[in-house]
Amino acid sequence: MSSLSVSNAIHKTGDLAVSVQNLGLTYTTAIDRRPTLKARVKSLGRGTKQTRVVQALENVNLDVTYGQVLGVIGTNGAGKSSLMRTIAGIIPPSTGRIEVFGSVSTLLALGVGFNPSLSGRANVHLGGLAAGMTRKEIEYHFDEIAEFSELGDAIDAPMRTYSSGMYARLAFSVAATVQPDILIVDEALSTGDAHFKVKSFNKIKELRSEDRALILVSHAMATLREICNDVAWLHKGKLVTRGNPNQVIDEYQEFLHLGKSSVIDEDL
Amino acid sequence: MSTPLQVYEPFKAGLPPLRKYWRSLWARRTFISEYSRSELREQHFDSIFGQLWLILNPLMLSAVYFLLIVIIGGSGGSMRYGHLTASLFLFYLVSNSLSGGVKSVTAGQRLILNTAFPRMMLPISATVIAFFKFIPTLLVFMIMRTVLGLPFGWEMLWSIPIILIALIFSLGVAILISTVNVYFRDIASFLPYLTRTFLYLSPILYEASALKPEFRVFQNFNPLFSILESWSLSIVHAKTPDLSSMLTSLAWALGFLLVGTYFFLSREREFAVRL
Repeated sequence: MSSLSVSNAIHKTGDLAVSVQNLGLTYTTAIDRRPTLKARVKSLGRGTKQTRVVQALENVNLDVTYGQVLGVIGTNGAGKSSLMRTIAGIIPPSTGRIEVFGSVSTLLALGVGFNPSLSGRANVHLGGLAAGMTRKEIEYHFDEIAEFSELGDAIDAPMRTYSSGMYARLAFSVAATVQPDILIVDEALSTGDAHFKVKSFNKIKELRSEDRALILVSHAMATLREICNDVAWLHKGKLVTRGNPNQVIDEYQEFLHLGKSSVIDEDL
Repeated sequence: MSTPLQVYEPFKAGLPPLRKYWRSLWARRTFISEYSRSELREQHFDSIFGQLWLILNPLMLSAVYFLLIVIIGGSGGSMRYGHLTASLFLFYLVSNSLSGGVKSVTAGQRLILNTAFPRMMLPISATVIAFFKFIPTLLVFMIMRTVLGLPFGWEMLWSIPIILIALIFSLGVAILISTVNVYFRDIASFLPYLTRTFLYLSPILYEASALKPEFRVFQNFNPLFSILESWSLSIVHAKTPDLSSMLTSLAWALGFLLVGTYFFLSREREFAVRL
């Protein structure tokens, strides 16, 4: 389950990084955002449904090799985030198999900071430990994380005092700084102010290397066209096509009947 | 081709591969100690006044209850006061673990949605925190029983396995309640009623031996009964507790841990989509 355990293996371009085989994911989720016993008791005998079964992914096959920068696109509810979560090991698959050949760092929608009453520093430490890093590894990266996030003294303030931009900056800094073999970024490039957006964009570009695999989920088509060398399009839990970024994105935009427009191209 | 570092496959019988789970849990023990430490620091239990508060709270409570039993029961005595205090302290270990554990999973939402790790770390941390809060109260009791002039003896060492049993039990209930809270988020508001009921059903305000025969039946339904009975015998009276009552406590504790763990592990997969 360790997602960040350091692998010392050297990866070559073209080596398999992630192999997703016949992946299917079904889960049951509560209809209520905050299900309570009280609500349940009150609706007893009404026969109202409490849960909903979601078929998030169906028969997805996807190989990612080192040196690849894979963009993942699709409409809302296409299963992009579910796919990222299964690759990261956060949700186990219902069917199929996922093999991961390296350490994974994730930057999913919510980022770090699980205990808002603790300081940013404590949260970074705890997040790293939970991901399977050692204290030493975290110490080693910490200064760089703090510097990149530009939080200054705020790093020692409780995270509940942070603005959403500060949250996002810290989350991005953690994920991008720990030098993972495989980096998964889920719609997190669009956070922070313009200055930080450019900075994180450049960082991602910098992280593209022969011995690393990047998987980026984004609705910012212009960004994907620029950064990725491969794009996969998901629709309703299935892989539609995969291949050359410009080609796949053109197809996708045509599918949306939108064509090129500044709104879609904009780095949201 | 190299072998994969991680393989994710569907769970068999709804459970994650246990050996792998245990290994990754053990690898993250630093998280548990670091989390408990930061949490205690955040609640200021690393300062002198914080620690004082920790002791003061159950001490005042035991004083209030002592007043109550003296007025209603008409009997006092240092033994009685020692029993009341020691029992309350152990009871608080369980109750703190329960109240800390209940929100451990739901409060760890951000971490659960973003990181792959054995989720059981969260309720385990809650129990560890409760244990750290228990240690100073134990020291206070040792001082107190010296002042009260209670008998000392080797039999008091029986309290060590009893603390262990109480810890296993606390962990079991923390794991269980943290899972329940994912499905019923308001369960925390029922907890005070639950703990209050068990406080009165347990031999805390009275000695186990003083229980009327017609109420003896409660003993069988209260997992805390035999734990607290053995606890008081060993640490207050410095007597060897009944072996059968020790075994009963252990059975309850292990039972809760097993049921709680099974329930937790079989539901853990859903946590990321339920939060």
